[in-house]
Amino acid sequence: MNAIIISALMGVLMMFTSIITSNKQVIKNVALIALLFLLVGNIVDTYNIFSIKVDTKGMLSFGKFGLYFNTLIIAATTIFVLLSGNEIVKTGDYAADYFALIFFVLCGIAILSSFNNLLMMFLGVEIMSIPLYILTGSAKKNLKSNEASLKYFLMGAFSTGIMLMGIALMYGATGSFGIQAIKLVDNELSFTKVMQTPLLEVIGLLLVYAAMLFKVSAAPFHFWAPDVYDGAPSAFASFMATIVKAAGFIALINLFFLKAVELHYLWKMVTVLVIITTLIIGNITAVFQQSVKRMLAYSSIAHAGFMMFALYAQNDIAKEGILIYTVAYSLATIGLFAILAKMDDYSLEGYNGMAKTQPLLAFANAIFLLSLAGIPLTVGFFAKYYMLAAVLKFSGGFGLFLTITGVVFAAVSVYYYFRVLQAMYFKEGDAKVADVTVGFKLGLMLCIAAIIFFGIFPDVLLAWFYF
Amino acid sequence: MNLVHILFWFLSALTLFSALMVILSKNPVHSVLWLILVFFAISGHYVLLNAQFLAIVNLIVYAGAIMVLFLFVIMLLNLNKETEPKKNVWMKLAGTIAGGCFLISVTNVIYNAQTSSAELVNKTTLMGKGSIGLIENLGKTLFTDYVIPFEISSVLFLSAMVGAVIIGKKK
Repeated sequence: MNAIIISALMGVLMMFTSIITSNKQVIKNVALIALLFLLVGNIVDTYNIFSIKVDTKGMLSFGKFGLYFNTLIIAATTIFVLLSGNEIVKTGDYAADYFALIFFVLCGIAILSSFNNLLMMFLGVEIMSIPLYILTGSAKKNLKSNEASLKYFLMGAFSTGIMLMGIALMYGATGSFGIQAIKLVDNELSFTKVMQTPLLEVIGLLLVYAAMLFKVSAAPFHFWAPDVYDGAPSAFASFMATIVKAAGFIALINLFFLKAVELHYLWKMVTVLVIITTLIIGNITAVFQQSVKRMLAYSSIAHAGFMMFALYAQNDIAKEGILIYTVAYSLATIGLFAILAKMDDYSLEGYNGMAKTQPLLAFANAIFLLSLAGIPLTVGFFAKYYMLAAVLKFSGGFGLFLTITGVVFAAVSVYYYFRVLQAMYFKEGDAKVADVTVGFKLGLMLCIAAIIFFGIFPDVLLAWFYF
Repeated sequence: MNLVHILFWFLSALTLFSALMVILSKNPVHSVLWLILVFFAISGHYVLLNAQFLAIVNLIVYAGAIMVLFLFVIMLLNLNKETEPKKNVWMKLAGTIAGGCFLISVTNVIYNAQTSSAELVNKTTLMGKGSIGLIENLGKTLFTDYVIPFEISSVLFLSAMVGAVIIGKKK
């Protein structure tokens, strides 16, 4: 409960900061301190040192997995503010309010990692999404940003409607909002079993599933992602592509296998279809992109496909895997977007010869790209490894098939990540990069160190989880 | 047959009549006005069932907000005889199917209730008896069982307000 309460309060605090001062550096530093405070608040909650106890009537339940996930998310947000803080305050006149909205998003994420009830899930998803519509359109003079915001808002409103319809149908079928009441849990492959389950519940769960897939931009519902990530200011695009996407997955995992029991076998077929289409569309389309920002948007769709593996496997390795994947993907993508925001030209040519002009930034980019591609010695490798291991451990079904597909598309992804590497190191040109501060460089070094450290000792991440 | 029952029959007749007029009147603006009358009559039914909260919310949300939106849309569309869109067969078919589905489900509910007509007569009005729709009970539920979602939704509204201000301001 700490994370939910503190993040909401910190959001209010940020709003008041804008009354007191209009100095953007001060606002940024206040936000950083508030984030650290939130981080500590959540950690003491995780280890039962101090936690605000509220009788939630069974609507929220705080497991260690959810709390640890909160910690990772808040830490990732802190790194995001460290690296992109200057970009955030530069987007418009309302620097403090942007941070307030970011805190509200974190509040929604804390609800999504602990909900026990479809009502709370709906609230969490909405608290997470509504600030994002605004952050997407925060560059008010930029037409592309306006377009992206409107597109995201309309699509998001539709998906909310679909989710509400699903929740209503499930309420009709089970007579309760609790996710324990969902009865589609038998792990047998039998057609009669499926036919016996109430139709309302099946349709309801499908609708909720579809709406959540929209939020994580998995394949049949991915169409909004490239335009929105491309149009949004780079800083907020990275926030949406990493932290919010991981939160969508935690909601799916919460709904489908942490608290409810395993899903019916036939439901896994739906998941397999989604995974395959997501991997195909994300990876193949990313190959043809000329703009690095757009390529990252498609690569985020592809990574959503990989994270879906956890939803298919539904075992302990998958739980550990999603934690590592969150860290790996967030660190690398936040770093890439932070550097991208400093670039003059977002196209591949804009990166030409970056190794000569900005050796440190080029090196950081290289490490981030290697991690995203899943090359050993970076944490991205272990993220993919855990996902594939989880699917292989889930006996029978499509395990082997999925693993092979995953490996093939990981190989495809190497191609488009290495195109950026090639542009930076082997092509002539003078990449124009805005001046970077020492703090920015230190932040990048921190990211690189974390990626390599967790790439060699991934157990450390999990040790914190079990300790 | 006391006053409440007379009121019930009057309201029922009014509801059915104005609902029919919604479909039958040629002018769309008149349709909307009749629809407002339907909502008022239904609110009257809610009051008879001792559900004041539902009655008030029905008036505010449907008769107030949604109907105004309807009127706006109709005015903006500027419907008249010349520009009246042709209704094709498929549209009519879809409408019939959708309406039929609704009819089936409503009949099903009444059929499954398995109450004899004598019992049904006693349940038409619950003036002073029923307690489900009272504001008092709603408040109690809202502040005991549902206090967490109730409080947390304030964060949602706060963020929406912040957003509205950011987007709405000139600069």
